[in-house]
Amino acid sequence: MIKELKPLCIGDIEIKVPIIQGAMGVKISTAPLVAAVANYGGAGTIASVGLAYGTKEKNIDYIKISAESMKSEIKKTRELTDGVFGVNVLFALSHYDELVRAAAEEKVDFIVSGAGLPLKLPELVENTSTKIIPIVSSDRAANIILKTWKRRYNRFPDAIIIEGPFAGGHIGFSEAELENAYETQLEDIVVDVLKIVREYETDYKISIPVIAAGGIFDGKDIARFLNLGAQGVQMATRFVATDECAVTSKFKELYIKASIDDVHIIKSPVGMPGRVIKTDFIDKIQSSPQRFICDYQCLKTCNPKTSPYCIAKALCNALDADFDNAVVFAGRNVYKIKEIIPVNVLMDSLVKDTIQELNSN
Amino acid sequence: MSVEAKVKEIIVEQLGVNADEVTPDASFVEDLGADSLDQVELVMALEEAFKAEIPDEAAEKLKTVGDAVKYITDNCPNAE
Repeated sequence: MIKELKPLCIGDIEIKVPIIQGAMGVKISTAPLVAAVANYGGAGTIASVGLAYGTKEKNIDYIKISAESMKSEIKKTRELTDGVFGVNVLFALSHYDELVRAAAEEKVDFIVSGAGLPLKLPELVENTSTKIIPIVSSDRAANIILKTWKRRYNRFPDAIIIEGPFAGGHIGFSEAELENAYETQLEDIVVDVLKIVREYETDYKISIPVIAAGGIFDGKDIARFLNLGAQGVQMATRFVATDECAVTSKFKELYIKASIDDVHIIKSPVGMPGRVIKTDFIDKIQSSPQRFICDYQCLKTCNPKTSPYCIAKALCNALDADFDNAVVFAGRNVYKIKEIIPVNVLMDSLVKDTIQELNSN
Repeated sequence: MSVEAKVKEIIVEQLGVNADEVTPDASFVEDLGADSLDQVELVMALEEAFKAEIPDEAAEKLKTVGDAVKYITDNCPNAE
């Protein structure tokens, strides 16, 4: 009989409850939510993307103000918690290098990086103690990162997040792959990645904890991945329906009301498919391109002249509850959420159910 | 083996395509069906075969078979 969960150890950082709140942009996982999860003993993640949205200044230096906004969010979070938290920086961002450097300067515990292969991440955090955690969706991607980091930098990931096909927001699978996604696919990918990770761990006498993500909903799910050999999980969607999440109640209501049929896959200018809750905007972009003015090309992968819409603007519109013009990201299992609860109530129930499930096997 | 022949051989093996599809003008993505991971793996295989370091910025510009052959010929002193 176990009484408590094993902590998730990433280098010298100990996360008492092995649940990481995944980053949600734009401005969904901000200081209050991140701090609440960290205060409970899990780890929170600030989404670095688009934090400068709403800045009143004109003719702004986008890169500078993005980095400044992120730094101020980190400081805000630190005022609210002594717990473990990090930031997520999408590799697809044009100002990726600057944001990563700024986050490491602020001495965040960890930087999570996905939406592309973050092959040069180690050089950007050189001589800092910030842990680096890539997100992968296949053993192939894990292998490329492990091999390249070892060869170029003699460095290993401090942990690896494995994100399956049922995640919300941008997903590392093609649309065809998503159509053929199956229930236990994440389990299979975790097993595949663990095989490679174990080889590295043995060969180089290191420890690389593996964290499962994408569609994880309850304690049963968590227990399943811990039993497979993952040391933790990352969950995001469920944390939107908490009191501490800073989005409007209208935004949270969309989550509560969503049915399984409301969850759709769209093409994103990021160059990957995105999982969303359907809004009128989704019909609009599918039938005709939405012209937009681009002040700063924030994504390496976006061509503002041909993109059918501005993903940054569409995500920001969701914050203002302008859902006719918004993209609202969510995970596949969003339809299972029924109520808005405080973070500690959610965490309590996840921990209790996970322990119960682990003991029942 | 010439640089060209060796590069072609690696492309055939990495992308699982027929040798006759690997023409100098063939685009990795559009003609040979490479996805983003295929492209990175291909560059890694070229680096290993030619004992070279191909920077990410240069790798991103290798769009066709011809680009890869030219890059290796121009930049890899170990290529024989």
